[in-house]
Amino acid sequence: MYNLLRVEFFKLRKNRSFWSLLFALSVLSLAYPLLYYFDHRSSGVPQITGAEFLTTFISSNSYIIKFGVAILAGIFISNEYSTGVMKTIASSGNTRGRLFTAKLIVFSVGSMAISLVFPIVSTVEVTLLSGFGQLPVESTVLFIPRAFGLTLLYTAGYAAIGALFTVILVDSGKTIGFSMIFFLMIDTIMASLSSKVAFFATLYDFSIFKLVGNIGKPLIDSGDVPALLLVPLLTFVIAGTLGMLVFRRKEIK
Amino acid sequence: MNEYVLKTNQLSKRFKGLTALDKVNLSIRKGSIYGFIGQNGAGKSTLIRIVTGLAFPSEGTIELFGASEEQALIQARKRVGSIIESPALFTHMTASENLEVNRILRGIPGKDCVHRMLEQVGLQGAGKKKVKNFSLGMKQRLGLAIALLGDPEFLILDEPTNGLDPMGVVEMRELLKRLNRELGITILISSHILSELHLMASHYGIIHHGRLLEQLTAEELDEKCQQYVYIKVDNPSMATTVIQNELGTADFEVMQDGSIKLYSRIEQPGKVSSALFSAGLEIEKFMPMGEDLESYFTKRIGGNLHV
Repeated sequence: MYNLLRVEFFKLRKNRSFWSLLFALSVLSLAYPLLYYFDHRSSGVPQITGAEFLTTFISSNSYIIKFGVAILAGIFISNEYSTGVMKTIASSGNTRGRLFTAKLIVFSVGSMAISLVFPIVSTVEVTLLSGFGQLPVESTVLFIPRAFGLTLLYTAGYAAIGALFTVILVDSGKTIGFSMIFFLMIDTIMASLSSKVAFFATLYDFSIFKLVGNIGKPLIDSGDVPALLLVPLLTFVIAGTLGMLVFRRKEIK
Repeated sequence: MNEYVLKTNQLSKRFKGLTALDKVNLSIRKGSIYGFIGQNGAGKSTLIRIVTGLAFPSEGTIELFGASEEQALIQARKRVGSIIESPALFTHMTASENLEVNRILRGIPGKDCVHRMLEQVGLQGAGKKKVKNFSLGMKQRLGLAIALLGDPEFLILDEPTNGLDPMGVVEMRELLKRLNRELGITILISSHILSELHLMASHYGIIHHGRLLEQLTAEELDEKCQQYVYIKVDNPSMATTVIQNELGTADFEVMQDGSIKLYSRIEQPGKVSSALFSAGLEIEKFMPMGEDLESYFTKRIGGNLHV
């Protein structure tokens, strides 16, 4: 398993698309706060501080997580089917379960790296420009590690779903397209179903798709914490297990 | 000690409404170069994909190095190197990096083997070159280098000479023969270039429409390939009558140019020529001939025009 993880990290490190994605996100993350900065400066409105920026925009980071997972799933995993590399990997004398697990772990790590670009780069930039300021009074000193920790946890949940799509769809274009549409539409679909069937309301309330919105909450009730932690973990385990089962029976062309 | 590297037992593979493999019983003896012959869609790649674990059989079993249970088969595949259909490479990486990926994947200690493999396939100067800039022939060589990583005991090569220039084909053949001779690597090789296969294979398997028609050694093939007398006479129709009536056989073939291939009585050339001569036929050519692998294969899969 150690070797499989080393291989996947080696491939991720050598994946130019991954680095391009990180670079593009970094540039966008630098440019976005500048728009606010210059707008506020010209209109004389007080500048947003780093803390304000983080609490306000961390919920928008879920879009980056979704797009990041969809794109990385296509370029990091599905692409191996079209290049034929998956044939070499699958015939290397390792179990399919281990192969998928290694891929899922490294894919999740790559997605996590993507998920932290916007909150870290933008917040640091805003802090350098206007100072960090004060976190909302109701939040604790743990806000930042909690927000970043939950971001990583939810990204892993999304990554497991993305990895499941890769083994089903195989083609990188299909994986990217379908994942993006799925991640963007699932909220609307679940919300619509929730209004009609109570079961779906419960399902949606305890899904990563809804709970991801709670990452940036300044204050989280202690009663909500278990769900906030367990849901992405369970999503990772369930989607990961499903992906593994599909991959075990998948014929590789 | 197991005499066979690979054995399949009643191996079948069905896709929707299509039988790709039909109860195939194939066996590859240790140390042999097994030429796997069949038309496109005959089932060669399907069988190779099952052996390498990329596809699963509908029925039947495979035995690789004596292992047939799922987990044991996975372990046995560590002793196999393969190129399936085309070399699978990361085009954005260099040749050395491609080998490095596979070295780690197979858990091979030490980086020396990367350079050694590049040297073995004649790519020693191209280690730092990106694979996207490689010619098809170079990619084939790199694919072979990857397959050879970890010193496999069994090499499975599906069309390994695709894209190679004539010199490359010769070099590949010599390399494979050397690997087989010096390291004792068993090789399963499928190729459309039957003349090439004929120059290196020690055993053959002929597959057609998913059925393994025949397995034979090179010696057996040679015997079977030298089984006709080429006859050219002034009156072919009369000659066929003579052959049927005087020699009592219908095991011959009349070619478009009027020449006759007589597949029996080859051990009695005197009797044949005497019968033709006695009938007043003028014999223009009369000689024992050997078929090549291509014509034998064509005949074997149903291109047989015997009358």
